[in-house]
Parts: sequence; structure tokens; C-alpha cells
Amino acid sequence: MYGGPQGIGVDGRVGTRARLTFHGRAGSLSGIHVVNVFLTLATLGIYYFRAKARVRAHLYGQMEFDGDRFAFHGTGLEMLLGFVKALVIFGIPFAFLRWGPALLVLEGLPALAMSFAAYWLVTVFIPIARVGSRRYRLGRTSWRGIRFSFRGSTWEYVRLFVTGSALTGLTLGLYYPVFATRSHAFMTRNSWVGSARFDFDGRGRDLYVAYLYAVLLTLPTLGLAWFWFSAARRRYFWNHTSIRGARFRCTITGGRLLRLRLANVLILALTLGLAWPLATVRNARFICRHLALDGDLDAASIRQDPREAAATGEGLLGFLEADLNLG
Amino acid sequence: MSWRGHYLDGRTAARRAASFRVVGATLEIATEDGATRRWPISEIRQTQGTYAGEPVRLERDCETVIVPDVGILTTLRLRAPRRRSRFHDPRRRRLRVPLTVAAGLAAAGLAVAFYLWGIPAGAGVAARFVPTAWEARLGDGVFERLFDPEERCADPRRQAAIDAIVARLVGRRGTPYDLRVTVVDTPQVNALALPGGRIVVFRGLLEATESPEMLAGVLAHEIQHVVRRHATRAIIQHASTGLMVAAVAGDVSAMLAFALEGARVVTALRYSRRAEDEADAGGLAMLVDAEIDPWAMVAFYARVLEPMDRAPDEGILRHLSTHPPTRDRVAALTALARERGGGVRPLLPGHDWEDVKRICGAG
Repeated sequence: MYGGPQGIGVDGRVGTRARLTFHGRAGSLSGIHVVNVFLTLATLGIYYFRAKARVRAHLYGQMEFDGDRFAFHGTGLEMLLGFVKALVIFGIPFAFLRWGPALLVLEGLPALAMSFAAYWLVTVFIPIARVGSRRYRLGRTSWRGIRFSFRGSTWEYVRLFVTGSALTGLTLGLYYPVFATRSHAFMTRNSWVGSARFDFDGRGRDLYVAYLYAVLLTLPTLGLAWFWFSAARRRYFWNHTSIRGARFRCTITGGRLLRLRLANVLILALTLGLAWPLATVRNARFICRHLALDGDLDAASIRQDPREAAATGEGLLGFLEADLNLG
Repeated sequence: MSWRGHYLDGRTAARRAASFRVVGATLEIATEDGATRRWPISEIRQTQGTYAGEPVRLERDCETVIVPDVGILTTLRLRAPRRRSRFHDPRRRRLRVPLTVAAGLAAAGLAVAFYLWGIPAGAGVAARFVPTAWEARLGDGVFERLFDPEERCADPRRQAAIDAIVARLVGRRGTPYDLRVTVVDTPQVNALALPGGRIVVFRGLLEATESPEMLAGVLAHEIQHVVRRHATRAIIQHASTGLMVAAVAGDVSAMLAFALEGARVVTALRYSRRAEDEADAGGLAMLVDAEIDPWAMVAFYARVLEPMDRAPDEGILRHLSTHPPTRDRVAALTALARERGGGVRPLLPGHDWEDVKRICGAG
């Protein structure tokens, strides 16, 4: 048994509801951030990874579900090693393929082949990075002393991602809702907390109405229609996610999401990005406010099932993010 | 003294109410089912409870206890046989704000120091490790892409005169770079240096020179860009400013990254103006060493370049240009020429400069 307040579940039956609560405050996170910036600069960047681990441990520790907080056990050293690994197996080959032709003054076919190979490298490594990052992140997270884990096969997701992106391109985006749903289903169904598996029963076609509305209204609403699609997608994904018969319930709406994002952009723009702790705390609070779990989750039946997770994916994703966002 | 909280055994997600006592160097955990566990304090790690409102979280291997009262920390610190700092001292929370402010000021100071000195100096050092062959390949690649072979003016006799100016400038000291000047058939009054030794002079600029000495001034400036590796340094500086910005701004989103890119461009321009000043001063010194009249360079800047300088030399726009205002550059060059001026030998005796200027066949 668990002791959440009584509520009415999605299917109308009376059941228990467990809420997520975020206790974090921008003040504490800002303090951590300021010290992190100082140490990162003073160590010429080496501290960056420990800083990242500290911020994540703090944020996870502020998130409470059914009376207990989450914990993040990852270390900066793991993330540093993950980054180095990503640099060696991805970054250096990519840099060579991307800038090699210019440095070697290659023209014609060899240069073309190298650009093509660089493109493929990225296409294959985005899914590898996503899976690796999820595997690491979940493997280092716990709730009530029980570790999460991700057990999906990397190559299965690479296949799913490559065919999904290709089909999305070939159908001029029409395949996207199916692709997004399959991708999400893969991520969810392979996620576990101890011996309990998360389940997902959504189907891509259910998102088509919302998707077509967003496409048609893109121009008249100057793109703002996509906030409603994004909210509909999150709601749909969460409402079709369950664990041991207990089902998540998400109440995010397009209007609320738009308000959150607009305010965050303003906060960041006005402070030149220095207020990111505030924006981060607002995001976390928003998600927790709009997410709950309906139904009985027998916590005592969830048993520990430790699996190992390497830190490579984390490094890969960080590397890719840096590459895509910062040039 | 005892505390209440709960215990997680790390095998199931069930939580059990528990009470805690510190006995000697041991934490005693009594759960409601009557069992008692004893943890040596030296094996306990504290993973939460350093901020107001947080419960204290203590771990030993896979087991965890949660204690809402931070008072337990004070007792644990007292009883810990060694490494007391593993346990947070709640009394030190008062110090947190002043320490954070100090760290913030220090971080701001470091960021400014890196921006003003660290990054330019570091890029200068790092550029020295880039082989000149790489620079030459990069420069050649850009050159081939930017200028059509048809645009390049190739008149062997007149080209030889221009090459003679370069040879005179370089002198006996030589340079690791293969300096190749190409005149390109475009009307703009401009010249540019590519990494690795390629220098491009636009026809418009060549026609605006009144003497070989004036062209020598321009070439000396561009050669300085090459030998001081300004392009390579700019690339390194651009990458390192990006890293520094990322460190300060934390995990940046794409939207924010876009805004920060603007900040980096302004930074790049600042470094670029510094490079121009360096190339001016170095170029003038090069002329003096080669016994070429430095006043021709000053005259070219003052008579030809300054009237073209439409950018306002006051206000914000001054900071948004890749080059410093020409008036400032002329003033700096004049001062240098006065200070360094020496013996002068004629450049290209026996050549008709007006004829050399027709390298592109115009007229």
C-alpha cells in the first residue's frame, strides 16, 4: 500500500493518486551554479563534469514522489570519462570527415564520400547517444533505494531511428507522429525501476489530428500552434504510460506550456542567460505540478535489480548538444 | 538522543518507519518490526540534507535512511572518528551566502581576465602548434573557392615586379611561409591575407596606389596577418570563447545559444581590431627594416583609405567594425613612422609603376 490522497482515476474508478512534488528553489540552485562556474573557470573546464553531476544530483533530490525523493548517484568522473570516450570514438572521426577535405584540399568524389560519411556518422550517433544517455541517467537514478534501469538494445533503436527519420523525410513529415510514438514506446517499454517495467500502450495514429491541426495552423499562428501539439503529445505519452497497473496522468495544456516557455525565454533574454537556474526550477516545477500516478502501486513488490550502465552516452549527448548549439 | 525517520533496505521499495540513536561510533537503526541495524559512522555517506528544507539522507552500500531533523548531523560530526567534513554542519549555512557572493565575484573576475588576456594569449600559444602546412591547405582551399581562375590576373612580367616587393620586405631573414600574392580583377579597394601565405590584392586597391612603396605598405600589413597567424588564432579564439560562454551559462538551450552567438561575434570583432593594430605596427616595422619609405604607407592610409571610411568613429558602431577607425590607425602609424623612420632605398628602380598596375590588362 502507499499513502497518497484519495482521488478518481482516469477510468473513473476510485483509487489512490500519488503526486510528484518539486521542492527546489532558484536561490539554492543559483548558489550551486555560481560556485560551479567559478570552479569550472578556475580549473580551465575540468570541473565542468563534476558541476553537471552536482546540479543533477540537486535537482533529482528536490523531486519527491509519494513521500520520497529521487536520488542521482552519477559522478563527475564518470561523465568526464564518457565525454573522453565520445570524443575518441565519435568526435575525432567526425572532425576528420567534416574538415578533412578542406585541410587535405580534396575535391570531387573523395570529398563527397567524406561528407556523406560524416552525415552518416551523425545519423547513427544521435540514436546511440540518446540510448546511451538514457541508460546512464536511469542507471544512476534511484527512488526509495531502488535503482532505475534501461534495458533497450542500442542497435534496435539505431534501426528504429534511421528508418523513422528516413520515412519522415520521404513522406514530408507525415510519418512523424508514428515515428515519435514508436521512439517513445521504445524508450518507455525498456525503462525499469527495480523489477517493475514501465509500459506504454499509445499508437502513433492517435496523434494525427493534433499534428495536422498544428501543421495547418503553423502560418496563421506564427508557429505557436506547435505548443498545443507539444502539450497534446506529452499528455498522450504520459496518459498511455503505466507501471504495474498504475497509470500516469498528465494535465499539461498548450496554453500553460506557452506561458511557461515565453516567460522562461524572457527571463533568460533579460538576464543574458544568467537566470537559467530560475528557468530550470520553473520547468521542473511545471512538470511535477502536471504529473501524477493513478492507481495502486504496491511498492513492497518492487525489488532491486541492479544493472550496470556506462557513462558514454551521457558524454555523447553532451558532446552532440555542444556541437549543435554552440558551433 | 534519538531521531525518527525511515529506513529503506535497498532490496524493495517499501519504506519502514525507524528511530535512530548514535551509540559510540555507531548509528543504531531500530525499525518498527523490531530489528536493529548498526552502522559504523565511518562507513556512512551523507547524500542529502545540506540545504534548508531537505531531509538528511544517509547511505551505507545499498541501504538508506531518511531523517527529517538535521540535528542528527551535528551528533554524527561529533562522533565521526575521522573525516568529519563528510557530514554537513548546519551551522555553516550562514556562511553560504557570503561565500557564494565571493565565488560569483571571483568567477566574474576570472571571466573578464580570460576574455581580455587569457584567451588571446592562449590562442597565440596554441596557434604555434598548428603546422604551417595545415594553414596553407586551409588557405588554398578558401582561395580556390573564393576566386575563379579567370578573375586572377596573371601577367608574368608585372607579377615578377610585385613578387620583388615581397622579396624585399621579407629580406634575408625569410619566413616559414610561401608568400604568394595574387591580384584579382575586381574594382573594390581591398586586400586580404589567407592563412598559410596567400595574399589577395583587388585590382581597385592596386590602381589606387601611387607608388610601389604604397603597395609595399599594404603587403607588409597583410604579411603580418600571415606570420602572426591571425586567422588561425581567430579560429581558436572563437572556439574557446564558445566554451567559456557555455561554462558561464550552464546548459544552454538552442534559443539561448542563438543570443550568445551574438556575444561571440562582438568578441571576435574586438579580437579582430586588435589584430589589425598589430598588423599595422608590425607592417610598418617591416618597411623600416627593408629600408622602404614608411611615409608612403601612412599616406596611402590617409589619402585613400580614410576618405572611404564611412563608419562613424564615435558611439556604438565603433565597436561593431572588424577594423579600427582609419583615422586612429593613421595617427598610430604617423607616431610610429616618426619614431622609427631611418634610411631609405628606392623600391623597384627602373620599373614604370603605372605599367605594373595594368597587370589585369585594363587600359
